[in-house]
Amino acid sequence: MIPDFDQQGAAETKQWVPEVSAPAILLENVSKSYGRIFALSNITLALNGGVTGVLGMNGAGKSTLFNLLMGKLKPSQGSIKLFGTDPWKNPAPYARVGFVPEHEKMYDWMTGYGFVSTFARLNGLTRDEASVEANRVLEFVGLTDVAYKKIGQYSKGMRQRAKIAHALVNDPELIILDEPLQGCDPLARTTIMNLIRELGRMGRTVLVSSHILQEIERITEQIVILHQGRLLALGNLHSIRERLDKIPHRISIQAENPKELAKDVIDIDEVYGVSFPDGKNISIQTHNLGAIHSQLPRIIVDNNHKVSTIDNPDDDLASILGYLTSGGGM
Amino acid sequence: MAAAITPQPVEYAAETPVTGKVRLEAAWGSTEGDEDFTTTASSAPKPDGQVFKPQYKQWNGQLNPRWMRNWAILRHHLLGIFKKGHRPWGMPIRLYLLVVFIASLTDVGLTLVSALIGDSGLHSIWGVSRDNLYGHVLGFFPRNMLYYPVIAALLVGGVISEDRQHGTSALYFSRPITRFDYVGMKFLSVALIQGLIILVSLSLYYFAEIAAMGRGWAWIIDTLPMFLATVFSAVLLIFTYTSIGLSLSSVSKGKFFPGIALLSIILGTKILAFIVSNLFDREILYLISPYDCLAHVGQAIIGTQPTYDQYSWTWSLASLVAMNALALYVLTTRVSSMEVTRE
Amino acid sequence: MATKPDTIYRAFDRKASAIVEFTLRQYRTKTSTWVVLGVGFTALALIFLIYIDVMGSEFESVDNDGDSTDYDNDGYPKGQELRLGTDPWDSESHPGLFDTPIEPDPISMYINEDGFDWDINSKIGSQTTGIDDDGDCLNSNKTDSQKDTNDNGVPCDIIVEYFRSSDGNIYTYVYADSGVDEDPDEDAYSREAIHMAFVLSIGKLGFVLLLGIFLPLFMATGLIRDEMSSGTMHFMLAKPIARSEVFLYRTLGYLGIVWPYVIVLGILGALVSGFAGSGDAFFRFADLGVWLAIIFATMMATLVYGMLFNALGVFWKYGIILAIPFAAWELGMALLSMGAPDAMLLRFSVIGWALMIVDAAAMLVWPNLDLFIVMGQWGGGGQGSGWDFDSSLEGSGPLDFFSSKPGLGLSAFTAMIVATLVMLFQAAILWFIGGAIFKGKEIQ
Repeated sequence: MIPDFDQQGAAETKQWVPEVSAPAILLENVSKSYGRIFALSNITLALNGGVTGVLGMNGAGKSTLFNLLMGKLKPSQGSIKLFGTDPWKNPAPYARVGFVPEHEKMYDWMTGYGFVSTFARLNGLTRDEASVEANRVLEFVGLTDVAYKKIGQYSKGMRQRAKIAHALVNDPELIILDEPLQGCDPLARTTIMNLIRELGRMGRTVLVSSHILQEIERITEQIVILHQGRLLALGNLHSIRERLDKIPHRISIQAENPKELAKDVIDIDEVYGVSFPDGKNISIQTHNLGAIHSQLPRIIVDNNHKVSTIDNPDDDLASILGYLTSGGGM
Repeated sequence: MAAAITPQPVEYAAETPVTGKVRLEAAWGSTEGDEDFTTTASSAPKPDGQVFKPQYKQWNGQLNPRWMRNWAILRHHLLGIFKKGHRPWGMPIRLYLLVVFIASLTDVGLTLVSALIGDSGLHSIWGVSRDNLYGHVLGFFPRNMLYYPVIAALLVGGVISEDRQHGTSALYFSRPITRFDYVGMKFLSVALIQGLIILVSLSLYYFAEIAAMGRGWAWIIDTLPMFLATVFSAVLLIFTYTSIGLSLSSVSKGKFFPGIALLSIILGTKILAFIVSNLFDREILYLISPYDCLAHVGQAIIGTQPTYDQYSWTWSLASLVAMNALALYVLTTRVSSMEVTRE
Repeated sequence: MATKPDTIYRAFDRKASAIVEFTLRQYRTKTSTWVVLGVGFTALALIFLIYIDVMGSEFESVDNDGDSTDYDNDGYPKGQELRLGTDPWDSESHPGLFDTPIEPDPISMYINEDGFDWDINSKIGSQTTGIDDDGDCLNSNKTDSQKDTNDNGVPCDIIVEYFRSSDGNIYTYVYADSGVDEDPDEDAYSREAIHMAFVLSIGKLGFVLLLGIFLPLFMATGLIRDEMSSGTMHFMLAKPIARSEVFLYRTLGYLGIVWPYVIVLGILGALVSGFAGSGDAFFRFADLGVWLAIIFATMMATLVYGMLFNALGVFWKYGIILAIPFAAWELGMALLSMGAPDAMLLRFSVIGWALMIVDAAAMLVWPNLDLFIVMGQWGGGGQGSGWDFDSSLEGSGPLDFFSSKPGLGLSAFTAMIVATLVMLFQAAILWFIGGAIFKGKEIQ
């Protein structure tokens, strides 16, 4: 066999031993460029344990990052290590990794069970072991009753779950999911989100990507925000939000009698401005979203206002990114 | 009547994350229990749910005539050879078409040269005659080995298979275009492009002879039957190659497989039959080779010396009909069952 | 699972069997597989049918020396009259006028009555051979010097000379005394010759060249490339398995379809040519040796080409285009191998080595093939029919074209072993190269 030139010491006889202290994922100054376009610039990141969400708009570099982690791409600069080993050079760490790719193409002619068990054997399992493991993971994701149907007949949510099953069959310590909720119906979303939370609870390192903040929020607090190939924020969403709380937020309320509502709302201390974008809506500007939301219900009910919608128009990734990138107020 | 709602304390945990929308839900109660509330504060109570009567108004406008729609498809495919903004045929294909067209004009050029320099020997080799008309369309080397089958292969390469691969047939079928029109116009466009090369060069050859050698009406009347017979043979050739090629294109999803398969069929069967006939002196295998069937029929109707003497040309004609029927059958079945999505 | 194994160099058989099984099942679902296999089978079946038809027909028997004709219309063929001493040109002179009148012999006795019975080796130099079966040389009333037209001091014989000319090729000359072996049995010879030519031509061109190139062309180029294009490569790669392993196992899966197919077709060919072949035997058992070599050579060729086309597919998205000029080159090399088997250029091709295996087997199974061809080319030495003065017997031409010595001047067994080793080495190198290219490929 072709020897792995990157291992130190005696080449083929020495077992590859994962460094005990190595984090599950370690990126150091990783950049990926295509000609003059940098898909990722200078990312440094270490992840070990728990569920982490990777957020970014389309084109921010999430898929590039995941492809780099999975050894499908080679970093132009910097180093990537999974469990202490560069996956591009040595695929051994994949025994502990499960990856759920974004794209949809699967082998439509295989049954779900066949798909999971055949590729399980590539981890070195025998046929029987693979069969046992396949049944276990199919039960975990809830596909037992359709396991013997062809994947071509599966719905989108079932296909996603089949991919997740395939990734979990080798009992991995690191699970990476690239946009797992994309295109799923609400029931499938809930199922998959529960799965991911369960995996996090079981002590694995889970990496999930999305461009929808609300999805990630339901799963985890740890987030990484990528924007135009750069690392924009990293850490506990809670603390990031606290910083962002100091930035002006808007609450938009559609009411029958906006002017009346405005008079009552303006009394709240944290409100520093109220505007009327059109006849039916009022827009409250505040620095402290939490405080407003805790007081708003009483005001509305006590004064018998007729309110039809309450919305936080700034509470999406685009606005957060806007704040983060414009550096406003931080 | 609004039920009393008390804001619940918010816990910071993974299940109850911390942005405004979710705080909103924490304040108002999460959306999961909505059905428990009888009413929330709202402007006017609406009856629960309302189905709106669907009003489908049929479009009473004038659909343009079918030929116009088909002409649009045909034009899209034909103009793609020279212009941008139409079906992109790819630079290698266009270049090769140009090369083949110029190469097909060698006999035209040599006829003109022989007229210019007044060399009757050269003219007797290259001028219009039964053998030369036959050779222009059905001669094996180089035309039917390097030119005509290859352009057929290049043209049929992605014509239907790319639509199947990328799902762009939806662009056609979401409009009032029948499947027959779809495949018919594609067939016609590929055939016309080949016809442009073969028939136009043939006609140029004929007219060059008339013009350069100063032929009169008597000559024209004499040679018109064999010219028309040659035109018919050329049409038969184009039709056969196109139908086989398109049926291959409807079966495959790749860009190259139909072209390579067409070349393999045309040249492969020819080589096979040639080897067998040399080895065993049996010409029967020529019946599976489209080129040889065409050549045999061409020889019979143009009136040149037959080179297949073990069986009559009607057998070759029958074989051609069978080949075309099979190809068209495959084509129509595949296209009529084609799903209008990425398969 | 308690402990996780930490190296990719383990459980090769499990990984291999998983990918091989997967590849086989994947081939089953693709239409192109069935089309290619079906077309190959149909084409070969057609040729087998034509062969059966040819073998069932008669070859015209020609009386090369004209001694069955009754020139003087006295009712007695010339041969009989010559033998009994009467004048074949004089109608007044015939054996019916003897004291005990002799009945006329049937004409068939004088057609194909003096065939080849040569017994020499294929070596440089002159050798004499040939027996005058019908006695029209030995028993005639010619003088000794008339009987020895080839002037070697031996009456009524044939000189066969092999010599090497200045251009390195070997030529044969046949000088026969007239009347010796001049009327061979065309039917027997031509059938045998055509049978051998068929086996060799189908084996070399049909199996090794056409099957050997077209099966990999349509089935091996997409082994890795199709997975890369459709995005499903991930399922195989994101595992503790080296990329060159994936390359190898996919190729093994392809062989798992192609090799049995080649073997089945080869057995079919052996059965057809064995039962329908020339000769009196019910089944031509000896030919199995050649067919075995043909099957083996095709298997080797599909292995090497499979690795090559797979590597081409990995290297470039449109790798199948590169495969075409390569196939044209191999066709040229195949023809060169049949025309000039000693050419050095052949050593740089794949098919040159594969054909060497077939040639070596032919040399072993039909040791007198060379001589047989020389006999047929000489054909009795008469004027021949038609306008071309070509006296060679039908079938000797094609047989001469399709057969050749193994080249490199090796003996048969050595040639086969050397060729097999070379092809295995080629396959290994191509695996190494393909795996290395694959290793460096980024998969979007």
